[in-house]
Amino acid sequence: MSPPDGGEVRVFAQYERDFREQADVVVVGSGPCGAVVCHEIARAGHSVVLLEEGPPFRPDDFEIDAGRSMARTMREAGLRTTRGTIMPTMQAICLGGGSLVNSAICVRPPQFVFDDWSTRFELEQTTREQLDPHFDAVEALVGVGPTPENVQGKRNLLFKQACDALGYDSEPMPRNVVGCRGSGECFTGCRSRAKQSVDISVVPAAIRAGARVLTSVQVQRVLTEGVRATGVEGQVVEPFTGRRGHRFRVDAKVVVLAAGCMATPVLLQKSGDLANRSGQVGRNLQFHPGVAIAGIFPEPLDPQFGATQGYHSLQFLEEGFKLETLWAPAAVLAVRTPGFGYELQDRFAELDSFAVWDAIASCHHSVGTVKARRGSNLDPILTWKFHPDDLPVLVNALWVLARLFFAAGAKKIVSGVQRLPYEMHSLEEAEVLRSGRVRPSDLVFGANHAFCSTRMHGDSGKGVVDELGRCHDYDNLYLADTGIFPRCTAVNPMLTGMALARRQAHAIVDRL
Amino acid sequence: MIGWLLVIVLLAYAVQRLWLGYPRPARACEWLAPREVHFLEAAADALFPSGGAMPISGREADLPRWVDDYLVVLPRSKRTQIRLLLLLFEQATLFFPAPGPLRKRGWRRFSALDAEQRSDVLRAWSRSSLYLRRLVFMALRAVLTMGYLGHPATLRHLRLAPYRIESPITEADVLYPRIGQHPDDNPLTPSDITAPSDGVPIDLDGPLHPDYEEHPL
Repeated sequence: MSPPDGGEVRVFAQYERDFREQADVVVVGSGPCGAVVCHEIARAGHSVVLLEEGPPFRPDDFEIDAGRSMARTMREAGLRTTRGTIMPTMQAICLGGGSLVNSAICVRPPQFVFDDWSTRFELEQTTREQLDPHFDAVEALVGVGPTPENVQGKRNLLFKQACDALGYDSEPMPRNVVGCRGSGECFTGCRSRAKQSVDISVVPAAIRAGARVLTSVQVQRVLTEGVRATGVEGQVVEPFTGRRGHRFRVDAKVVVLAAGCMATPVLLQKSGDLANRSGQVGRNLQFHPGVAIAGIFPEPLDPQFGATQGYHSLQFLEEGFKLETLWAPAAVLAVRTPGFGYELQDRFAELDSFAVWDAIASCHHSVGTVKARRGSNLDPILTWKFHPDDLPVLVNALWVLARLFFAAGAKKIVSGVQRLPYEMHSLEEAEVLRSGRVRPSDLVFGANHAFCSTRMHGDSGKGVVDELGRCHDYDNLYLADTGIFPRCTAVNPMLTGMALARRQAHAIVDRL
Repeated sequence: MIGWLLVIVLLAYAVQRLWLGYPRPARACEWLAPREVHFLEAAADALFPSGGAMPISGREADLPRWVDDYLVVLPRSKRTQIRLLLLLFEQATLFFPAPGPLRKRGWRRFSALDAEQRSDVLRAWSRSSLYLRRLVFMALRAVLTMGYLGHPATLRHLRLAPYRIESPITEADVLYPRIGQHPDDNPLTPSDITAPSDGVPIDLDGPLHPDYEEHPL
């Protein structure tokens, strides 16, 4: 075992020349999964370098304006869309990855998800029972707990009331948040520092344990010799402009790619179509497409106050969707508001009586691909096609959301579904949602949960990695992000990614 | 000869249509050309007219300035896409003219149409049977909505303006300097670390974030 160097973090201003590092393990990507791998390796006493293309953000670096915030924290300025079926999707570029800008939702997938994974993909060790100790550990690491009642705000509590009225299960959202003040600003960065995003929780713990964290460095190639990875190389990049500078290389005994479901396949493809004997790299891309309905209530709800996503219902998981409350900057939420002119302004004027609830769906028939672009850019070409067989799930979800809103006392709802009435004032009017008139192209959906682009499979001919995340083709190359999920999780994926990453890290430690 | 004349006439028309006749903007922009500023003002008027339910109109929200600031922080490819979107909308009346009698010259540039024609054009885009055309409209509306609803006056009116929040100082703030700074310039030390957030809900009557407070003119 190599003795760990002193932990440190390096930022753009410190790179003055080309450089080379050595470590037992190099981890590419500081999102929830990469951070957990790095932490566990460092804690076990091994030297580890964590590489992140984005910069670390402090509260005074956050932008409150939604457009400018997305431009700074997201790849492609948050304006990424899929081809095929055009759907917006985002990927963060910052220390902590998506955890800096997500709603901190931490949910364990139900048993049936793992049963499905085990049987379909020959993953005998990936059961809920086997993963539970890892779930326990990562929940403790990032402070997961239920959203407290006093910061729910009206728009979240109305959801609970509606679920109670209809007899649906619901619960306060479990989140990695400690001391939430209900500012509803998860999306642009938590100024209260209550959200335990991994940049303020796991990464500092890893640094304390000896990890070296290099930010503003873009990995462009995985280096290999025969069937072994030997390290990675790339260039320093200036925050926000992306201007490239000094070159670097990190030599390591083990390489872990945790660049995210939409970047890890690109990195493999740009490294000479690495680890792709199965032909599955960049294939099988799945999302949790989300649909949302806005309900307008007779009285002001002060929607600015309250946990961003404070309540959810797992009632319909087996039917393919999960219900949640949702908030984001008005400028982002209102992007879905239909109309223009005075009509649009009238709708905006009602934003203070607004609640938005959404459903994320398991759309197993709708798949896509991740492909590298030309040049050294790691932004992918995403192609994804919404399959008509998945339409009933989303339509049913919209109908259930409509029922919830009217059960909660909404005076009208705005579904955003094209070709249907802009507003529906009663459940009878909302019947049109399930009348069979809705076509896939009528739906306005988006998805930020992405999976399966480097899926794990017990059969090396059908998947990229084994169930410990090790590439079938390379002895010491591991992938640790949601790309390795064989299918979607039915629930928000961050916690599952972290639990799998922790298990992987222990497997790596055992082999070092 | 006739062919060349035709080419010259078409070129002259294209130059006139694309570049000429735009007034000089009141203020220089970093990225936006005068034609884009003029288009954005016209689109802002049509999307968020004055006299509606909101306290300010799209023009008063100075959306060209917001878009210009936004373009500054965008990567080149996205900046180009948004500028193409503006160009497409401004010139698409050539192919999708404003409805109405021909004498109203509905094929003029979007910014040259009268208010009623602009509304008709937006309606046609928003309700088009062509999915892509609807999508283009939504993209334009999304960009302008981000600017409009990001404006402090609209957010204050809607009681959605962000509050003033004193951020606790964490271990991470000591480890990471501000973006662009060298760690040696980070004044924070471990002794500056404060108690974490106490979980006290924000005060809805409390002070707003300084950038969103109302300032006397």
